[in-house]
Amino acid sequence: MDPVHATIHPEVPGEKTKIGTSLVDTAASAIQSFGPTKQIHQHLCAFHFYADDMTRQVEAHHYCGHRNDEMRQCLIYDSPDADARLIGLEYIVTEDLFLTLPDSEKPLWHSHEYEVKSGVLFLPGVPGPVERKDLEKVAKTYGKTIHFWQVDKGDDLPLGLPQVMMALTRDGQLYPSLAKDVETRYSVSFEKERQNRAYMEGLAHGIHPKANAAGVGLKTVLREIECKPSGQPEPSVHRVFV
Amino acid sequence: MSSTSERNGAGAGKNGIPAGKPVSTGQQILDKGAQMLQSFKPINQMSQHACTFALYSQDMSRQIETHHFITRLNQDFLQAAVYDSDDSDARLIGIEYIVSDATFEKLPPDEQKLWHSHAYEIKSGLWIHPRMPEMIVTPELKNLAKTYGKFWCTWQTDRGDKLPLGPPSLMMSPQAEGEGVVNHELVTKRDEKYKMSKEDLVKSRIEIPEPEWINPMADYWRQHKKCFGVDVESTKMKIETDYSIYS
Repeated sequence: MDPVHATIHPEVPGEKTKIGTSLVDTAASAIQSFGPTKQIHQHLCAFHFYADDMTRQVEAHHYCGHRNDEMRQCLIYDSPDADARLIGLEYIVTEDLFLTLPDSEKPLWHSHEYEVKSGVLFLPGVPGPVERKDLEKVAKTYGKTIHFWQVDKGDDLPLGLPQVMMALTRDGQLYPSLAKDVETRYSVSFEKERQNRAYMEGLAHGIHPKANAAGVGLKTVLREIECKPSGQPEPSVHRVFV
Repeated sequence: MSSTSERNGAGAGKNGIPAGKPVSTGQQILDKGAQMLQSFKPINQMSQHACTFALYSQDMSRQIETHHFITRLNQDFLQAAVYDSDDSDARLIGIEYIVSDATFEKLPPDEQKLWHSHAYEIKSGLWIHPRMPEMIVTPELKNLAKTYGKFWCTWQTDRGDKLPLGPPSLMMSPQAEGEGVVNHELVTKRDEKYKMSKEDLVKSRIEIPEPEWINPMADYWRQHKKCFGVDVESTKMKIETDYSIYS
């Protein structure tokens, strides 16, 4: 049996926006410039699961901008609607950039090859041929995703620690009910797209063994530490847990 | 495996040059095409740009200027994408959530210690809405002075990281004393950029009331003299569904 948790949209506690407040918002959105967020030009839909719990799977709406040809930065929302919750962010880099990362960093990144090739990652509203042109590139990238708001377990506020998220790497991981739900809402067929994308190439060097949580799992831990006296440089501590 | 206390490693450089080749013409056309066909409702809801400063909890001597692009979900809740500048090539460095005092007081204490207060930032002229007449934003500043924020920074561009490295850092807000005092040069740079003066703002904001109560669990370092680091550890991935978390 599949849980139906990923489509939970808990209501954020709080009063309706007051008129005075919304007037300030309206004035600000007219007067201020939004340079960084104007660079966002792409809406990508895919699924993430928690790096320590594959059974918790979340529909993730990525709104991405290119920093350059080798890197995108994305805001992640739980829906494509105006009242969507900002639940996380993702950085997407080419294989070449990924390979420059220190080994201790690589497990935090996930491969995109399977997500693209299996048809589950898509650009809502973009016709297949145009979409595939871009996804040919995405298939060769790695992503680092952090979620800050666990809407899937019903949190009505962003509670607790940031969570490292992972992406699908093979058949049988994604809940069929979750897949069906998205396919229905967006009139897409993952199976058909899988066939359309069969020609695509993946990572030139194959999926790095240290990527995708090094094939194990990851969790974040909060540590209470002594505050550094101001003006003192950080001591050179290198923590290794793996 | 990876910790906020780590020094920067490979993949990082001291200069601000971004890793990667410039965007190609082909990619620009693809991007333009997607942009015309797709809708961007969550992004279009962003209604405020605020500029302020933040301090790393694991080392409060490291301080950054931050640019928040804010969406309001209701009177008591705001969510912000945080960038390292307001230019079109700005780096996305984190996310901040802002809640009213009413919402904050209902949070469990273990959660409250991750949040910081905003009163000092507002009253001392550190928090600004660039290019907005002060008179128009005053009602919003009165609201914000009573709020708390939770800011996770995912890209330590201040130490020259070319790519985002390590776990997210918990960020603190500037305060009047101790480790919380914001670096004078950072403020001067901001004042010059926006042709403004912190001192003028302090005067014009004198009428904004100080909150009667700031919960001592917020700004945890002030009362408890402890800071926070975040580590990423290796663990076993759960692959069987546990329904108990949904009850």
